[in-house]
Amino acid sequence: MRGNRTTRSCALALVLTLAGTLTGCGGDGGGGSGGKVSLRFTWWGNPDRAARTEAAVKLFEQRHPDIDIATSFAGFDTYKAKLATQAAGGDAPDVMQLDYRQINQYATSGILLNLGEHSELRTSEIDKGLLATGVVDGKQYALPVARGTETVAYDAALWRKAGVPAPTLTWTWDDWADAMRKLSASRATQGRVGSTDPGQSEDVFEIWLRSRGKSLYTKDEKLGFTADDLTRYWEWCTKLRKEGAVVPAEQTTQMDGTVENTPLGRLKSVSDFNWDAPTSGYAPIVGEGLKLAPLPVGDDGTPGQYFKPSMFFGASAKTAHPKQAAQFIDFLLNDKKAGAILGATRGIPANDAIRQDVLPKLEGFDQVISTYQKQFEGKLKDPPPAPPKGDASLQTTFSRDYDQVSYERMSPREAAQNYITEAKAELRQ
Amino acid sequence: MTATATRPPDAAPPATGGKRARKRERQGAAWVFLSPWVLGAAVLTLLPMAVSLYLSFTDYDMFDAPRWIGFRNYTQMFTEDPRYWRSVLTTLTYVVIAVPLQLLLALAVAIALKSVKRGKGFYRSAFYAPSLLGASMSIALVWRAIFNDGGSVDNLLSGMGIDIGGWINKPGWAILSVALLTIWQFGAPMVIFLAGLQQIPAELYEAAAVDGASWWRQFRSITIPMLSPVLFFNLVLQMIQAFQVFTPAFAVSAGKGGPADSTLVYTLYLYDRGFTASHMGYASAMAWALLLAIGVVTAVLFRTSRAWVFYANDNNEGAR
Amino acid sequence: MTTARITTAPAARRRPTGRIVLHICLIAVLLVMLYPLAWLLATSFKPADEVIASLKLLPSHFEWGNYSTALDGVNEVSVGRLLWNSLLIACGAVLGNVISCSLAAYAFARLRFRMRGPLFAFMIATIMLPHHAILIPQYIIFNQLGMVNTYWPMILPKFLATDAFFVFLIVQFMRGLPRELEEAARIDGCGPFRSFFSVILPLTRPALITTAIFTFIWTWNDFFTQLIYLFEPEKFTLTLALRSFVDASSQSAFGPMFAMSVFALLPIVLFFLAFQRFLVEGMASSGLKG
Repeated sequence: MRGNRTTRSCALALVLTLAGTLTGCGGDGGGGSGGKVSLRFTWWGNPDRAARTEAAVKLFEQRHPDIDIATSFAGFDTYKAKLATQAAGGDAPDVMQLDYRQINQYATSGILLNLGEHSELRTSEIDKGLLATGVVDGKQYALPVARGTETVAYDAALWRKAGVPAPTLTWTWDDWADAMRKLSASRATQGRVGSTDPGQSEDVFEIWLRSRGKSLYTKDEKLGFTADDLTRYWEWCTKLRKEGAVVPAEQTTQMDGTVENTPLGRLKSVSDFNWDAPTSGYAPIVGEGLKLAPLPVGDDGTPGQYFKPSMFFGASAKTAHPKQAAQFIDFLLNDKKAGAILGATRGIPANDAIRQDVLPKLEGFDQVISTYQKQFEGKLKDPPPAPPKGDASLQTTFSRDYDQVSYERMSPREAAQNYITEAKAELRQ
Repeated sequence: MTATATRPPDAAPPATGGKRARKRERQGAAWVFLSPWVLGAAVLTLLPMAVSLYLSFTDYDMFDAPRWIGFRNYTQMFTEDPRYWRSVLTTLTYVVIAVPLQLLLALAVAIALKSVKRGKGFYRSAFYAPSLLGASMSIALVWRAIFNDGGSVDNLLSGMGIDIGGWINKPGWAILSVALLTIWQFGAPMVIFLAGLQQIPAELYEAAAVDGASWWRQFRSITIPMLSPVLFFNLVLQMIQAFQVFTPAFAVSAGKGGPADSTLVYTLYLYDRGFTASHMGYASAMAWALLLAIGVVTAVLFRTSRAWVFYANDNNEGAR
Repeated sequence: MTTARITTAPAARRRPTGRIVLHICLIAVLLVMLYPLAWLLATSFKPADEVIASLKLLPSHFEWGNYSTALDGVNEVSVGRLLWNSLLIACGAVLGNVISCSLAAYAFARLRFRMRGPLFAFMIATIMLPHHAILIPQYIIFNQLGMVNTYWPMILPKFLATDAFFVFLIVQFMRGLPRELEEAARIDGCGPFRSFFSVILPLTRPALITTAIFTFIWTWNDFFTQLIYLFEPEKFTLTLALRSFVDASSQSAFGPMFAMSVFALLPIVLFFLAFQRFLVEGMASSGLKG
């Protein structure tokens, strides 16, 4: 199946030829105009990221008058569908921003260019552990842009009022659960519950697994846990939910990925699990008291959390200008001026040198995030390799199966077995 | 959907001097009128449909070449995927609630507006206003707020002693809030009804009034039969669209089909399989199963339409 | 032409109390229906911490900043530009649908030709396949035609009558017209083209206006097609720009999104107001008896 990209499909080829002959012309897919090399670059993000990216692109075009960069962006969910359609249509943009979970699929299907072959693209300053997450079958298909890590965002003011001891770097899952029980029980929290239900989050489950010495996927791309592990996790979450330490199903189901629609964003809980980068979104809602705590560690002190590449840059295997694409990615990742313009808009930069430059200049909540990350420097284990192909839908499946548990339509064990069955089918094991 | 083409030529109205040449001229004329449609149907519709039919027999992840697997997608769908059947059930629930209520409301308001003399334009615009919005993200957020626990609907109902809580996060109620979003946007069928009402010749009512027919009698023997082609159109199209409902469910559940899969309607699940899970072959099979199901229901509707749909030019059997 | 005809429906001849009751009922229904719209409008003035979290209708204070942020445009593209792009697509689509769908509908409704039954059935069948299933093949076709990142994928299909909904709609209206119309026209020496333009088309005006209104609104709101086919932000539409305020992986700007959606509503409201009056004039006033 792999490497079979020349024969995309006889049906699709039929479409191509028929459509081609009907019009007598084919699109040239946006080549150069007037000797200028033209590259298309897409990413997901918000207007702030758009403005900074645009500024960086202008600088690059100034330095390379022969290269013209056309940029485009969309929100994350719609971006994924759009990029998949473009890729399936043989029309992937020259340079694209990619998610951890897209790398394996896109690389093994021959959509991505092997960037390792392009010496224009320097990788010496990028964290080695992060760099490895962009490697598939020994080839560097994508480069990490920035790093993020999970966090417990919480309202420290309420926490203090409730008399609950502040989180530490070494608190265990039991400590966390105790804190949540106390928060929910306290009058100071005015009816708000301790936390979001971790049961719906595959991300938190992964960290819980890692803190017990296991992993989501093994090195040979198989499931790294059993139905028993998942049952134990979901039974634990169910106990907490029934005790009222975490929010009920009615709150969990309203989460849509945005900060605003989390229980903490709706002021229904005192804390929330999330990646660190989006937590700045809590600031206008929660106010001054907003703080970031590390995730709990295993009973033996094993940390589960890790620095995850928050996003990657990759280039299309079909690009007419691989050299220029590599130059452009190099500029975005390694150029000091570009780094200063981009700041932390894609997360704390993965390039060590740029990170040192950027950190002191960060403003507002970005400063809090960088301080949060700093305490882990050198203490965390390497990130796992990019999730295997077929994993794309499993995150949804995970929360969907837990929905069945939290609405009490299935027992944790039934749902866990369901998940394992579906996961194995998706991973083709 | 019957083979009108096979009817004998003498079924055509007796034209004055209806000769063969004239018939051939009209044949040619028909194809001239049809030419844009034929081009569009062939290139932009038939071709993609053929591809998707082919893909429904393959394992296709959108990235690698499709692999022929015969009826595997279909058998998996019908026999191994409980979520598929749940989505069928959810969709049927939605269709049964949304279609009749939306059509009734649209028809009632259209007929009421027909009787209104003053402020007609205002009413028409105001009733259409919700339909201008589509199921955008902002209206979805409004919907979620109104039907949330402690939202307006909850407050109103608890004030009346009915305690349901939030609709959008109760598995039994969420699909109802989705259906209500569709019903609320009844502007399209309403406008079509209004246009249909306008087309009824006023003389019919005048004559009936002279005969002393009551309002109800006029409604039954003039309005309904004269409106029946439009009623039929609305019924068929709203039904087809309801089976394919996507945006309201996507918007209200933020694309997840929750709580507990209770708003995971057919097309939403299809989208999930195709674009989230990259099983485009499976999604194509789902699409074709849906096409067949809708086709059967539509064919039944077309059959029954002969009994109750009245066409003014009924000597021409028309395009059934 | 007829003179002094009574064009009202039977109910209008009832007593005035009946009419007042009718008005009261209509207004009551309207109040319920317009409540979510009021909510939408009110939310566009809410400060960031209330947009989602607050379940109250009115904002604690009016936040005009949402509007100024929204009207700044997105990604250095001005709101005026986005508006123009949206209008261009919507108007092109209206023109295409009105022309091509009425042509096809006339053939299906009033002319006889071989294969009419099967072709009509096929046309109806094309509405039944969920469009997600043909998205990728269509994308490939438009890509081959060199039309990606242009407005053609949104406009060209309309000129080729691919919206079977409207073909069927117009067919239903044309079939409601008495056959004698064309008989008379034929006696006067009109061929199918003349009788289409001068007899049938004017009488189908309510259906054509309906087609125009729906096409405009639905094209305006058609987020997905615009998302897939448009690349450069300079070509983006209001509907697309609206969504770029929300991104699940970073901080969203829901307040400005609401402000932008209120703003994006204005053109379609105006379009509807401008055209809905023409819905009134149907056969009743265009003089059927001639």
